[in-house]
Amino acid sequence: MVCHKGRREMKHDKVKALATDWRVLTLAILLILSVVAIYPHFDDNGNLTTNLQYGLDLQQGAWLQLEFQSEVVGYSTTQPVDTFVTNLSKSLDADVEVVDANHLEIRKYYTQAQLEPYFAASGGKIVSYQQGVSKDTAADVKTILENKINSMGTKDAKVNVLTGVNGVARYVRVEMAGVDMNEAQQIVGKQGKFEIRIQTAGNQTEHVLYGDSITSVQTPNKDTRGDWGVSFTLSPAGAETFRQAAIKYGATTDPNNHQLAMILDNKTVYSAPLSTDLASSLQSTATHSMTASTGTGTYGMQQATDLEIHLRAGALPVDVKIAGSGSTSASLGAHYMTMCMIAFILALITVGFVIYYRYREPRIVLPMVLINASEIVILLGFISAIKFQMDLPTIAGLIAVVGTGIDQLVVITDEILHEGIVPSPNVYLKRLGRALTIIMIAAATVIIAMLPLALMDLSTLKGFAIITIMGVIVGVVVTRPAYGKIIMDILSE
Amino acid sequence: MGLFSYNIEKYSPKQLVIIPLVLLAIALVVLAYVTVTVGMPVKPGIDFSGGTAITVITPDSSDQLRAVFADYPLVSISEGVNNGKFLTFSAMDDTKYQGLTKLVSEKYPDARIDQIGEAFGKTLQDQALLAMILAFIGMAIVVFISFRTFVPSVAVVLSAFADMVMTAAMMNVVGIPLTLGTTAALLMLIGYSVDSDILLTTRVLKRQGKLNEKLSGAFHTGIIMTSTTLAAVVVLLIVSWIGQVQVVEEISAVLLIGLIFDIMNTWLTNVGILKWYVTKGGGK
Repeated sequence: MVCHKGRREMKHDKVKALATDWRVLTLAILLILSVVAIYPHFDDNGNLTTNLQYGLDLQQGAWLQLEFQSEVVGYSTTQPVDTFVTNLSKSLDADVEVVDANHLEIRKYYTQAQLEPYFAASGGKIVSYQQGVSKDTAADVKTILENKINSMGTKDAKVNVLTGVNGVARYVRVEMAGVDMNEAQQIVGKQGKFEIRIQTAGNQTEHVLYGDSITSVQTPNKDTRGDWGVSFTLSPAGAETFRQAAIKYGATTDPNNHQLAMILDNKTVYSAPLSTDLASSLQSTATHSMTASTGTGTYGMQQATDLEIHLRAGALPVDVKIAGSGSTSASLGAHYMTMCMIAFILALITVGFVIYYRYREPRIVLPMVLINASEIVILLGFISAIKFQMDLPTIAGLIAVVGTGIDQLVVITDEILHEGIVPSPNVYLKRLGRALTIIMIAAATVIIAMLPLALMDLSTLKGFAIITIMGVIVGVVVTRPAYGKIIMDILSE
Repeated sequence: MGLFSYNIEKYSPKQLVIIPLVLLAIALVVLAYVTVTVGMPVKPGIDFSGGTAITVITPDSSDQLRAVFADYPLVSISEGVNNGKFLTFSAMDDTKYQGLTKLVSEKYPDARIDQIGEAFGKTLQDQALLAMILAFIGMAIVVFISFRTFVPSVAVVLSAFADMVMTAAMMNVVGIPLTLGTTAALLMLIGYSVDSDILLTTRVLKRQGKLNEKLSGAFHTGIIMTSTTLAAVVVLLIVSWIGQVQVVEEISAVLLIGLIFDIMNTWLTNVGILKWYVTKGGGK
């Protein structure tokens, strides 16, 4: 009796010591945080859902790959750069942007052969030619597309720029959940031409500005009177042009008969008089920042949201063409999801059996499988937290983590149980250290091998690489040291 | 583990490496032949060559599907067990593609469509190739830094190289195309194959004891590592085959092939070179 009680107290102490060990503690905290991030709960219909987001493989959705109708040209010229660029832009009838000292971005599609005579005529030579846009332009397009899609009320959309080895981006990939191919094409496939005009008399209007003079567009907001509106800013030159046109056509003196019209693809999307205070201030000075009011209530808010997209649509600097596309139906997505769950659970169980076959010791097998499962939970927590959309390659990556994870737990166990004897704590730590060294090297190779993919924007594989790397890091830093500690306490009992 | 007995005492390093080396040579010949005929070491899928893939679950037979898509450049139809069908088409122009998507949405509204333009496929190809080369070089650097001895490091890198080459050759033989998914699988193989090689090298170089005991000890651990992964991959392959989840099926098939070659390359190629190195007086 006494002996028994003593043992029990000892066990209790051990559990307490284990629970306060920093390795085990870190694991526990991360697990709790992960469950919070995943947030399993019942939705309004009583179905179990989580915060996890799924990619287009696993739910209804569509993706589009857009090709920039533009090229980055390496050049040399004997002319002053400014003159050269102006001449070229005029003769090509295209926007020509200076990328750096040796490169120009021509925002209209021409082949190299088509360009050469124009360059020669302007006194220059083509050194290199690459279809696509510069990094900066690509970043702009990405931002514009993201805003355009997200304000359309679609679920989180992913916009990835596919940058080539030389830093020129030729493609941008858009992924949208919950929409079909048709909607997707409507949202991103077309680029609008945005124009601001002023009414001169009756139905007559005069051109004032194009969308390229708009430098930024804010999200819709409501003023103190409950009017919804969209604020936008004009470039300095644009603001001056706007002021002069407003004065010239009488919009400042008689706003109601000389309304301001915003036109997208030849369709008037907004028309209103200048407000009285803007009209009077424009008499004396140019205004960079203004707000287009769209009315009150839900209607006004909807109008403002649409206008915001229209204003941005005008700012997309380069034409795009669809180079690739795809869509998954809701039922097939659900089918894939079921299959992945089955595969995942079966894989975990099978691995458990193999491990059991090897060690025949539930005290080893159980912690191993649990640690392995906890790695997956932490990874899922991470995926939830960064709002990453899980797709089929990501799930393959997760299963890869199950595989490598178990492998390395085997390394630890075998290293510790060397020659079949449970070692003293000193020897134990030495052996654990040695096992962790092997694991570190293996982990470093996996991370290095996946790094190019993670950095490269190779469309769908990027997610896979990031998840694999994260899995390896979580394993090395958190779960495997914790396993080493737990298994020591279990074995030394 | 009783199932395998690993006793290589009686074999010389030369005998150990001869089979893998012959296989490696054959694999390189296969890859060279495919490169000459197709332009890439492994026959590319639509991700890299451009084209359209349609996944659909339908009781219609292959012949019926062929009739439905008679007007389109159908390349292949593969069937799963649950009425799943996977159709691939070669590249077509925009009007033709629009006709195809219309036909699909009328006949098979629940289908999944993937289309890649040829030029885009080429871009992906270049990037995938670069990723693979960089990954391999990166792995080699990590291995050399970790062991800081030439021959054992070369052995690890060579084993990983042989894994990838043999797997790629086998993909051609069994008809698995090179896609984004299978590229990922090949990269994953770098990680997996190096795992057991590192265990082996560390055990042999950094532990005290007789070489043969260290080798069989490492094998004891290493083979269970590979078999757990193999078990997971086999489950994945079976489920994705039954469920006709094409991407996962291809990934797991490549991993399965790669892991089997890895067993050979670790326990014959790598061990052979290590044994030669240690008996020549290298290591402890």
